Amino acid sequence: MQAYHFGGGKARWVPYLLLLPGMLLYVLIALGPSIGTTFFSFTNATGIRGAPVDWVGLDNYNEFLLMGQASRDNLAALGRTLIFCFFVTTIQFALGLLIAVLVNKRVKGTNFFRTLYFMPVILGAVIQGLIWSLFLYPLGGPMAKILEFFGTSSEFFGGQPSEAFAWVIAVQIWANMGTTMIIFLAGLQTIPKEMYEAAEMDGASGWQTFKNVTWPLLTPSVNTNLLLNIIGSLQAWQLFLVLLGYRNGTQVLGYLIYAVGFGQTSGSVTSSFRQGYAAAASIVLFLLVLLLGSIAQFFLNRRERRILG
Amino acid sequence: MKKYFKPFMLVLMLVVVLLSACAGGAEEEVTTDDSTDAVAEDVTLRVLVHQNPPMVEFIEAFNDQFSEEYPNVTIDLSVVNANDLSTVTQTRLTANDVDVIDMFAFTNAAEPYMVNVEPPNWQTLIEAGYLLDLTGQPFVDNYFPSAIEDAGTYNGKVYQVNLGTVSYSGIYYNKDMFTEYGVEVPTTWDGLVTACETFAAEDIPCMTAGGKDGWPIFVGAYGLIGSIYPDQAALVEGLWTGDIKWNDEKSIEMWEKMKVYAQDMMEEGASGIAGDAAPGRFASGAVAMFPGGTWYASAIEASEPEFEWGYIPFPGSDDPENNKYLFGKYDQGWVINANSPHTETALLYLEEFSDPANYEAFVNAVGFFPTQPGATLDTQIGQEVAPYLENFRVGFEQYWVAPKGAGQYANPWASYFQPFGTFDDVQELADKAQEDLQSGLDANQ
Repeated sequence: MQAYHFGGGKARWVPYLLLLPGMLLYVLIALGPSIGTTFFSFTNATGIRGAPVDWVGLDNYNEFLLMGQASRDNLAALGRTLIFCFFVTTIQFALGLLIAVLVNKRVKGTNFFRTLYFMPVILGAVIQGLIWSLFLYPLGGPMAKILEFFGTSSEFFGGQPSEAFAWVIAVQIWANMGTTMIIFLAGLQTIPKEMYEAAEMDGASGWQTFKNVTWPLLTPSVNTNLLLNIIGSLQAWQLFLVLLGYRNGTQVLGYLIYAVGFGQTSGSVTSSFRQGYAAAASIVLFLLVLLLGSIAQFFLNRRERRILG
Repeated sequence: MKKYFKPFMLVLMLVVVLLSACAGGAEEEVTTDDSTDAVAEDVTLRVLVHQNPPMVEFIEAFNDQFSEEYPNVTIDLSVVNANDLSTVTQTRLTANDVDVIDMFAFTNAAEPYMVNVEPPNWQTLIEAGYLLDLTGQPFVDNYFPSAIEDAGTYNGKVYQVNLGTVSYSGIYYNKDMFTEYGVEVPTTWDGLVTACETFAAEDIPCMTAGGKDGWPIFVGAYGLIGSIYPDQAALVEGLWTGDIKWNDEKSIEMWEKMKVYAQDMMEEGASGIAGDAAPGRFASGAVAMFPGGTWYASAIEASEPEFEWGYIPFPGSDDPENNKYLFGKYDQGWVINANSPHTETALLYLEEFSDPANYEAFVNAVGFFPTQPGATLDTQIGQEVAPYLENFRVGFEQYWVAPKGAGQYANPWASYFQPFGTFDDVQELADKAQEDLQSGLDANQ
């Protein structure tokens, strides 16, 4: 029996050569820009090719984290990012799981509901934003009519920053819950039927079956979903752009990076492009994602080892 | 070893293809020379403009006319949202993927009294060699020298021909409604408050605006700032030097009136109306007034051609003398990509566009106040603003550059009062605005 699948001698290079195209693509598309972003975060780059780029050391980081009231506003955006992450992750996770369990039942119409719940995922952020802007139009939109029926009203996305922010959380969950559901559904379908039959024979209730069979065996899906939800919500910015634009008291870090990088902060179309500064903000966001992602992964892996061995 | 030859060659080919693809990008860059073409050859001229329905409609018609005159020229017109124009301009110029661009006027420049500010993007584009020097081109002489100097010149060279000015500090009013309820057209702040109270008593919302897009909710109120600080350049300098504060006595008056504007005058739900839907809502007779820029006039007319409306400067002061100014800006202009392979055709395009007959048709289609001496604005908005044009002034937004480190309330461009923002107390907001500004000023000392 041959110990090494590709043989010996020069053939040992074959797997590395096979990996090379993928690796080159990764370097070009992912690693290269990441290293570039790190480099540009120490410069005053504008993103305009040919414009002078000067090394400014830690100035961008200093400005983002420590300079004047703007830095405190940035930290507030960081806080909002964490709040957004918490609510989106927990609610999307719980709803996704609940709906996956429901559409996993062998009853008529489950395929329709699976499609229905997954459909928002295939729409782009602009379409998602448009749908909700129309649905939540405060002057006679469907939701306004419903609220009117109950004798109340709301400005929705145009209301108080906290209210507008809460609506974006709701839209973000609606837009991405389908992915969470599908991952859970795939996990549910890998659980052997025999496990449920055994639980039934032992007289386990529905809750006991879920707690002792479904939940532990869903561990890989739980880990995947939690990590995806945490990282996805920390990086969210498109729906903030489409639904709210640049509004004081609503920005999250991802949107702030876009706004400063592409001159959207003042409402003036003649603002400066500050991509060096935006790159520094991106690195701060990256470190936040790395930190929270690593902590989550550490605990999730430990739990997985404990449950699945 | 033979059996590994095929996979090895496959990998090699993939690598070669990948590297060729990379090399292809580099090769394209080489074409960014200053070669020009003769119109005798087939040319596709790539033109970029921002979304403004009457302007786009006019430019499409002009392009047809241009292509008819020069059959070898095909115009490839791209239209983008105004908020995305600067981003798309930058990316397409960098990719050398555009020839003629509609760019907003050269404003928000760093003044000598400003410390540690970034240059505006138009300046960066010029310094990086992306905009063609138009100095000495015959069509430049068709425009007012002041418009060329103020809106399109940098370091003594002309890079833009500006196509017109607009006012953003006025209020449209419904003439029939004012007549029906016996309301005087307001010329003072008290008159405006009384008019709104009269309409409110009749259960008619006083004003609307496209609050969903952010800036339209407040743009009309630049007249309010202007009536208190008529010299807007001096206001910006005063804020930077500390001679004017957002919480001094005059500014408090401004904030008090802004609160009334946001809370008592604006209709409930205005924050959910999209910017391009607001003119239609006003024209439908749902509200009595609509604070906004002169560029909305054509949309109002298109929405309800028979609708009777008027336009007045925002009366922010109780002294009518202070309310005679219209504040606004130089709006869009044409620039040419300096690296375009079609600069001659692009110059020809601008020359044709700048022809007095074409230009006059343009300003009348779009509603800009002309920047060519011979052109007249023969539209209703032109007649409405004619009495105030001698008092036209460039507004705060075109001068303001925030100090680095200043907080987000340092610039009163948005509406911070409830229901649009979180503030309800005038003094609290005034102190917050000054604190945010001062924080930036202190950080740069």
